[in-house]
Amino acid sequence: MDLAAILFYVFALVTIGSAAVVVFSRNIVHAAFSLMFTLMGVAALYVLLYADFLAATQLLVYVGGILILILFGVMLTSQGYTLNFREATVNVVPAGLLSVAAAILLIYAFSTGGWVITEVDERTDTVYDLGMMLMTDYLLVFIVAGVLLLVAIIGAIVMSTRLSVNTED
Amino acid sequence: MNETLSSMPFLPALLLHAAIPLTIILVYALVAIWAERKVAGFIQDRLGPMRVGGWHGWAQSIADLLKLIQKEDIIPADASRFWFKFAPFMMFAASYAAFAVIPFSSGYIGSMVNIGVFYLLAVTSVLTLSVIMGGWASNNKWSLLGAMRSAAQMVSYEVPTIATVLTVVLVAGSLNLMEITELQSGNDTLGFLPNWLIFQNPFLITAFIMFFISILAESHRVPFDLPESESELVAGYQTEYSGMRWAMFMLAEYADMLLLSLLGATLFFGGWNSPFGDFLAGPFWGFFWFMLKGLVLVFVMMWIRWTLPRYRVDQLMAICWNILIPLSFVNLVLAALWEMIF
Amino acid sequence: MVQAVKNSWATFKSIFTGMGITGRHLVGPTVTLQYPEERATLPKNARARLFVNMDDCIGCTLCAKACPVNCIDIETVPTTADVDLGKTSTGNPKRFWLTRFNIDMAKCMYCDLCVHPCPTNCIYMEQEYEYSEYDRSNLLYKFSQLSPVEVDDVKAKAEAEAIQKQKEKEEKARQKAEEARLKKEQEAAEKARAADDGTGAVPAADAAKAAGTAAPDAADAARVAGTAAKPAPGSPSKQDDTQNPSKGEA
Ligand code: SF4
Ligand code: SF4
Repeated sequence: MDLAAILFYVFALVTIGSAAVVVFSRNIVHAAFSLMFTLMGVAALYVLLYADFLAATQLLVYVGGILILILFGVMLTSQGYTLNFREATVNVVPAGLLSVAAAILLIYAFSTGGWVITEVDERTDTVYDLGMMLMTDYLLVFIVAGVLLLVAIIGAIVMSTRLSVNTED
Repeated sequence: MNETLSSMPFLPALLLHAAIPLTIILVYALVAIWAERKVAGFIQDRLGPMRVGGWHGWAQSIADLLKLIQKEDIIPADASRFWFKFAPFMMFAASYAAFAVIPFSSGYIGSMVNIGVFYLLAVTSVLTLSVIMGGWASNNKWSLLGAMRSAAQMVSYEVPTIATVLTVVLVAGSLNLMEITELQSGNDTLGFLPNWLIFQNPFLITAFIMFFISILAESHRVPFDLPESESELVAGYQTEYSGMRWAMFMLAEYADMLLLSLLGATLFFGGWNSPFGDFLAGPFWGFFWFMLKGLVLVFVMMWIRWTLPRYRVDQLMAICWNILIPLSFVNLVLAALWEMIF
Repeated sequence: MVQAVKNSWATFKSIFTGMGITGRHLVGPTVTLQYPEERATLPKNARARLFVNMDDCIGCTLCAKACPVNCIDIETVPTTADVDLGKTSTGNPKRFWLTRFNIDMAKCMYCDLCVHPCPTNCIYMEQEYEYSEYDRSNLLYKFSQLSPVEVDDVKAKAEAEAIQKQKEKEEKARQKAEEARLKKEQEAAEKARAADDGTGAVPAADAAKAAGTAAPDAADAARVAGTAAKPAPGSPSKQDDTQNPSKGEA
């Protein structure tokens, strides 16, 4: 086993383990902190696939942005920040049926699907390639995403200014 | 140095490679903490530490370090043990990891990745999370308040930081800090000035001012030290920490200060390039110039710290959202126009 | 827009002004003294530690009365006739033994109020400011120059003299009463002589009675004076402050 494989398994383990903590933890803040490991693990897996730009984006956007906003939300909204979830499972029957169906589907797909294994090719110019593709092949998607974000920003500004006008008057 | 290392077996080379920035950070932290106290002393017409080690108490930080090592590791009974223990290490790991892309001299950079600055900004955003983690896990109101402030502050100030860095990237055309530095070699701006980026484009001067304000906020320095304001929050998220864990926080803080100063030196002041062209150039002198530039910025941060009072939370946010963010984006566009025209 | 530019100009200007000031102080001289090695010379009227020149103290207790926190504790014993303590350097006669003169520097607040009333200028502040102690009782400064033995001696003498004086007084009173009795007897006798001889016995008995009642009166007066005089020198003789610092507060 070479170093890359060892690293892959380590990071895969970290990702799955922390994801399990996210799901099973009864403390919502612990879950959020574990989510950080999941996101970082995924970022590390991206790095192993030579997608360094994507990995950095993952860190910057998810860990540095979204996760912090989640924590912010949790701490500001819940009464007491060590809110415990109910342990008891509800809707056992439908949930059981659904998960059995999902399991069958996954196992079927896994056993019948042909897995193409390719060696990842080493890239160095990810940023350049990414920029080229965004500006040529995926230009429309890029612009639509930009417009969407602009709309969201304007919406946020409108909402917050209306709120502050109300409070000031 | 990169060439020498690549001829060695992989693992020792890796460790040695990783140890270089660590050594620099540790030595720097010892010096900087002492220097900060000296600067504070002299600004207040005092002398600062004078006792330990002879000349001007130079060994004071070493004595403090030894003292901190001996201290009991206190964990509050109601703290969230795992996260409480983990937070300081994650904080230091984050700022240490960011040093990987800093070109210390023309002969040494931790990693030649193409996304250099972007990686640096991404990794340092983990710092915020560790501050929240430490503050929340302490189970203490002041700590939590400090953590919340820090989260709000760092998330906000990341935007102008990125926008100003983007301005430089736009002018330089690369994310790799080594390439950005190489671009600034030579001495022919207006005939005599070094080719540093800050002299290349008038909008980079404004960008640097905004960048400096933002990194003050990012590294929790006065006048933006709200997350750890001693006088109102009892040091904020560090309140419950003691001994070596507290020292890790301190170390991470000083490392962060150096990191952002070095980033500023690379982006605006030519990194390891000598200000005199080929005179005193070369890998070793490059390191010297680079550290000098970074430390000058660190010194200015200290100077500001002992000059200005602290902002209020709302003022802090107003500066960021009302002034810095719009200005930095306008500045980005103007810099791009300047590049297109000239 | 213009306002915003003006504001930011003002902000930067004030920041740079402030940094200029701190920068000047950064390179300017420091005012610190490296204390154990260097010491500042105190001004002449510095208040640091009280000192009493016992040779000049006349025991007037004015300083103790002036002290707002009662940290000066003085006990005096009047001198006996056979000793002459001499005069102070300012020419005031000394009439008291100072059996106790304690100043509790732990309580002193350096107000200097005790210094000014002193008629002989013998209590004043020294330049000594390094007198910290591990035990608070060590801050009780004792200025009395008399040893315990001497104190007892002096007290006993003073007491003896007081008793002696008392006796003399008693004697005087008795003599006076005696004289009065004799006088009365004489008067009575003369009266009797002036009157008839047969009735002379009764007024004589009256006069004797009167003298008898006068004598116990004088004795009573003596006793009262004795009890009043006794405790004054007697009670403080038991005090010994070397062992019990709390006494000073009491
Ligand atoms: S200085 Fe003031 S407090 Fe001290 S002994 Fe004199 S009168 Fe009392
Ligand atoms: S005022 Fe002066 S003379 Fe009088 S008791 Fe005090 S020290 Fe002695």
